[in-house]
Amino acid sequence: MAMESNNTQDPQLIMGRYRLGRLLGRGNFAKVYKAHRVSTGEAVAIKVFNKDAVRRSGMSEKVKTEVDVMRRVHHPNVVRLHEVMATRSRIYFVMEYAAGGELFARLAQSPRLPEPVARRYFQQLVTAVEFCHSRGVYHRDLKPENLLLDARGDLKVSDFGLSALQQDGGAGLRGDGLLHTACGTPAYVAPEVLLKRGYDGAKADIWSCGVILFVLVAGYLPFNDTNLVLLYRKITQSNYMCPPWFSVDARKLLARMLDPNPRTRITMSRITAHPWFLKGNACPLVATTTSEASSSSSSSKGAACKCHHHRDEEDSEEEDGRKRKRSKVTVSSPSMAVIRPSSMNAFDIISRSSGLDLSKMFGDEGHIRPEEARFASRESTAAIVSRLEEIAEARNLSVRVKGKGRVEMEGGGRRGGALGLAIEAEIFEVAPSVHVVEMRNTGGDSLEFREFYTQDLRPSLGDIAWSWQGGGESPPPALVPRRTAT
Amino acid sequence: MGCVSSKQFKRAEEYEDSSTLAKETTFSVNEVEALRVLYKKISYSIFKDGLIHKEEFQLALFRNSNKKNLFADRIFDLFDLKRNGVIEFGEFVRSLNIFHPDTPMAEKIAFAFRLYDLRGTGFIKHEELKEMVLAILNESELILSDDAVEQIVDQTFKQADTNNDGKIDYEEWKAFASKNPGLLKNMTLPYLKDITMVFPSFVLNSGASDDEL
Repeated sequence: MAMESNNTQDPQLIMGRYRLGRLLGRGNFAKVYKAHRVSTGEAVAIKVFNKDAVRRSGMSEKVKTEVDVMRRVHHPNVVRLHEVMATRSRIYFVMEYAAGGELFARLAQSPRLPEPVARRYFQQLVTAVEFCHSRGVYHRDLKPENLLLDARGDLKVSDFGLSALQQDGGAGLRGDGLLHTACGTPAYVAPEVLLKRGYDGAKADIWSCGVILFVLVAGYLPFNDTNLVLLYRKITQSNYMCPPWFSVDARKLLARMLDPNPRTRITMSRITAHPWFLKGNACPLVATTTSEASSSSSSSKGAACKCHHHRDEEDSEEEDGRKRKRSKVTVSSPSMAVIRPSSMNAFDIISRSSGLDLSKMFGDEGHIRPEEARFASRESTAAIVSRLEEIAEARNLSVRVKGKGRVEMEGGGRRGGALGLAIEAEIFEVAPSVHVVEMRNTGGDSLEFREFYTQDLRPSLGDIAWSWQGGGESPPPALVPRRTAT
Repeated sequence: MGCVSSKQFKRAEEYEDSSTLAKETTFSVNEVEALRVLYKKISYSIFKDGLIHKEEFQLALFRNSNKKNLFADRIFDLFDLKRNGVIEFGEFVRSLNIFHPDTPMAEKIAFAFRLYDLRGTGFIKHEELKEMVLAILNESELILSDDAVEQIVDQTFKQADTNNDGKIDYEEWKAFASKNPGLLKNMTLPYLKDITMVFPSFVLNSGASDDEL
């Protein structure tokens, strides 16, 4: 047991903060336990690494990489890393606890799922994987053990970034490495990965999602053989048979996902636009998180189906604003009362100095939070609002004018990612006829926000903005360094 | 905690001990160790002596070691508790502690007061506030008429200087800041809660003993 601690007082207490519970699972270097945060009682999963074992096997860098990757992928359908701890002998990852256990344990009760139920899980899976891809993170080891359910039955993909620990950096799988995955079978692995060709992580993940989809609807694996050689052949030739109960659309989608040629295999954005994906419930049922401090990352919009979810935390007084938002563009002529801006006092202004923004000290790492841009204008509030509306209209964004000089803009982005754009502009009066407008990314895709800022906002504001702050002449600093684990 | 009050810090060896700093601040031992990773990065960026010099501080904040900024200067001076021209590790941790999300608002309010009390007189005077407003306008390349600047400063004094003596004392500041919590937003760095994930290298050489805490 990794847990026989030196701590004489209470062997089950880690760093005085978490109380260890039962063992949930074990891997090559780590054991995963259920635990409770002492201060709040919140259930978490704690993965415990033996530092010596990690060091001896040369995995030290990979442990760091895993943290880095997991930190980047905050998404409602991805198991979240809360905290990292370490002592002289151990490393602890404190993670979100998925109370519903493995999705495939549920399958054991009813071996196959009706297509609408399978679709819901598949939508959540694809949304999560697509989000991670947009952050330059590829799972490369999607398989049943990594698909968990939370207490509400929403899907949580686990071990994003962990593949680095299992696959020798993912540069290619060695035969023996394969035997460690999926209970000794490579059933979920894409042909190009098996063939040890250099591969595109995104396309390899899409293949695995295809296999998972098949299993959900069929109740068994598309490629299966006790003879490893025959199994390899089936996979590389994509030799599988759909059972008769598969719908036509499901067959079509699977054929595109299980295309043995990664070049012609379907892309994520095509999957989310596929009739089978969009069928029935108009929107992917993406889990909404309500209690996160950094809730921005959990905005739940299915850009694929061009409809808007509403965040839970929104106040109900804005109901009619919502209705307006549903129409594509709301060109409103707001009353002056609505757009009266808040005023900024001298200290409010000073507090926005870049010299007081210590978050910069954390380097690029600091910029995973909602980004901001700011400009000043001598125009009236009404003129600023109508210019923002014009810009939004040109980009097909919905606009909502809220009280106290706040304007919200939302809609799909150019990249076709699930998050799209969600921006709040707030207008402040600094002095008579001097306004400062702050634009904040309130949960959209960071890259989309940055593009919107440089390509739409700045050029179009030209004559009404008289100065920019934050960006200077250069675009804002790299928001999320693109990182490929390949 | 007593980031400011105490001048009686023990002379640091090379770096102060993580558990000592953890006991004095909101940070855990691991968080102090993660901050050490950040500190080393900054303190070896130019002078390689393991101390943060002003140029290195400016480089970290602005990606430019020569960028002068009134407010960054003030922060540096306040972080440099011993006033020896460099920020040592213990000073770094104790000062950043003020920016921790869990640190009581009262400490943030006190720090902000000292920050804006440019000449250390115990008051924020009209001309100090004006100087700071001009600095931020300059930094943002905003040009306002002198009248407009005066108006902004006057307006703020009307709200903050409740006894009308032309300067804001600490009690007035406390009342004003409590009424306008937005202006203390920059006194809280949410990153500090995630610091162990931002700088995970600490896990490899953590000195936290297995039965510590």
